[in-house]
Amino acid sequence: MARTSRTPGAESAGKYRRNLFSWVMLTPGLIFLGVFLAVPFLLLFVISFRDVDNWMNMLPTYSLNQYIEVFTSRFYLHMIWTTLWVAVVTTVICIVLAYPAAYLLVRAPNRAVRTALYVILVSPLLTSVVIRTFAWIVLLAQNGLVNEVLMKLALISEPLRLLWNLNAVIIAYVQVMLPFAVLPIATSMGEIDPRLRQASMSLGAGRLRTFWKVTLPLTIPGMMSGAIIVFSLAAGSYITPLLVGGRLQPLLPLAIYQQVLQVANLPLGAAMSITLLLLVGVLVAGMGLILRRWEGRLHG
Amino acid sequence: MADRTNLKETGAAVRRRRRFDGWTLLAWIAGGAVYLFLVVPVLVIILSAFSPNPYPEFPPTEFSLRWFREVFQSEPWMRAIGFSLWLMVIVTVLTVVLGTTAAYGISRLEFRGKQALLSFMLSPLMIPQVVMGIALLYIFTAMGIIRTMAGLVIGHIIVSFPYVIRTVGVSLSNLDPKLERASMNLGAGPVQTFFRITLPLIRPGIVAGGVFSAVTSFGEVSISLFVVSPSNMTVPVRIFNYIDQTFDPSVNAISVIFIAVAVLALIIIERTIGLTKVM
Repeated sequence: MARTSRTPGAESAGKYRRNLFSWVMLTPGLIFLGVFLAVPFLLLFVISFRDVDNWMNMLPTYSLNQYIEVFTSRFYLHMIWTTLWVAVVTTVICIVLAYPAAYLLVRAPNRAVRTALYVILVSPLLTSVVIRTFAWIVLLAQNGLVNEVLMKLALISEPLRLLWNLNAVIIAYVQVMLPFAVLPIATSMGEIDPRLRQASMSLGAGRLRTFWKVTLPLTIPGMMSGAIIVFSLAAGSYITPLLVGGRLQPLLPLAIYQQVLQVANLPLGAAMSITLLLLVGVLVAGMGLILRRWEGRLHG
Repeated sequence: MADRTNLKETGAAVRRRRRFDGWTLLAWIAGGAVYLFLVVPVLVIILSAFSPNPYPEFPPTEFSLRWFREVFQSEPWMRAIGFSLWLMVIVTVLTVVLGTTAAYGISRLEFRGKQALLSFMLSPLMIPQVVMGIALLYIFTAMGIIRTMAGLVIGHIIVSFPYVIRTVGVSLSNLDPKLERASMNLGAGPVQTFFRITLPLIRPGIVAGGVFSAVTSFGEVSISLFVVSPSNMTVPVRIFNYIDQTFDPSVNAISVIFIAVAVLALIIIERTIGLTKVM
């Protein structure tokens, strides 16, 4: 640090001014997020304890009724279970598929190939989710491309019903969210010192053993951060399930959307939202803990 | 040093052996299949957009711009595109200003809870958007700005904000702190230093953040659906309503426009800050 020959007083006055300026810069953003992010969530939390009358008007009383409804009805419990199940399946498939994709990205033989792979990976992230989902409607519809190709190949005689089920939701989810898994895995793969693998192989370990003992453990942080993003997105989206799965799929985000915009039961929607938020939060925090533990083991 | 050349030679030997390795071949095939899976839906949309038939066919038989013409001649689609562009400009400008100042402020301060505050600022990336949608629906109704442009602008800023924090944060952490210190030692105040030294140096991060905000706002639908007015729809909301009910091939043409915008955005981000840094 290059210090000039300033007096300590001037130094601290300068520091004070710098800090003051930094706080002034930070404040507008903080106020904005406070008013439009923190306060709305606080209100949502409060509303989830309100009661409604038969016409869905909010009553001035507070109770746990909405939560009791969510956690005692088999309908909602099944829904919570399905939501988590779909999110877990999506996450696992994404991580498994992302691994070879990340490998290709890291080992691309030249810059042109790597750029092309990057474009394939990142351009969907910059395209609206409506459009990415729309592609799957075009592919999977009764008169869609998959059915047409299968019919032309005479593998099927009647179009299959590929849309409007949870499989369609998972397929679309995987394709929409895969880049979020590939990028962190590729990052942690790229950071591995190639000499580690060479050392392992020159010590007599084969390709597979080297992969299990060296590459895989070192890429677990990337896999975990990918899994965290994919899981929280898959548990919280409603656009994709609505468009390829239909309105009747037992998924929590979908039910929240309908409860609020169609049934207009805001307190029940709020209670379901808080439930979803807590479930995702707890599971993501758990995955984050594993991630930090593992990183501690690797670098500590 | 002899050791290192030795290691290099072993490395080369390993690499030579690897070229014919079955596992590597398998990894390449699997990886290639995954990229195919990612790119096929996009290609299908592009091909259908340039086909004259209402239903996609493979392989395509004819080339036509029919659906593009239909979009550009349709008054409601053009109105939606105009509205979305307008919204995008407002959101981008506001998000860049709010995000850049906040990223600067938090990067230059040390206090307890700084990490927590940073996570809070990045949290819109992780929060289920349906939850954010109803939270905003309620508060906007209470404030009387539901189904107005203001509500949409606020909703879009919230989801774009984390991207600016990230890209500008990357630029700030790459900045040599000596430059700012030198400026202050030469008598410039913090404000002058920010505008004369910091701002020009973090411009790549700001531009990348702006591009992210723009594409996020242009494609946003999850929150918009809750707060949008039926008379002033954004393009993604209109697409959503369209494909929710019917199947209209002009959506293909619109999609191609979106994909083109995404690729353009990608080029700008790569040129300014580098994709690997922010994704």
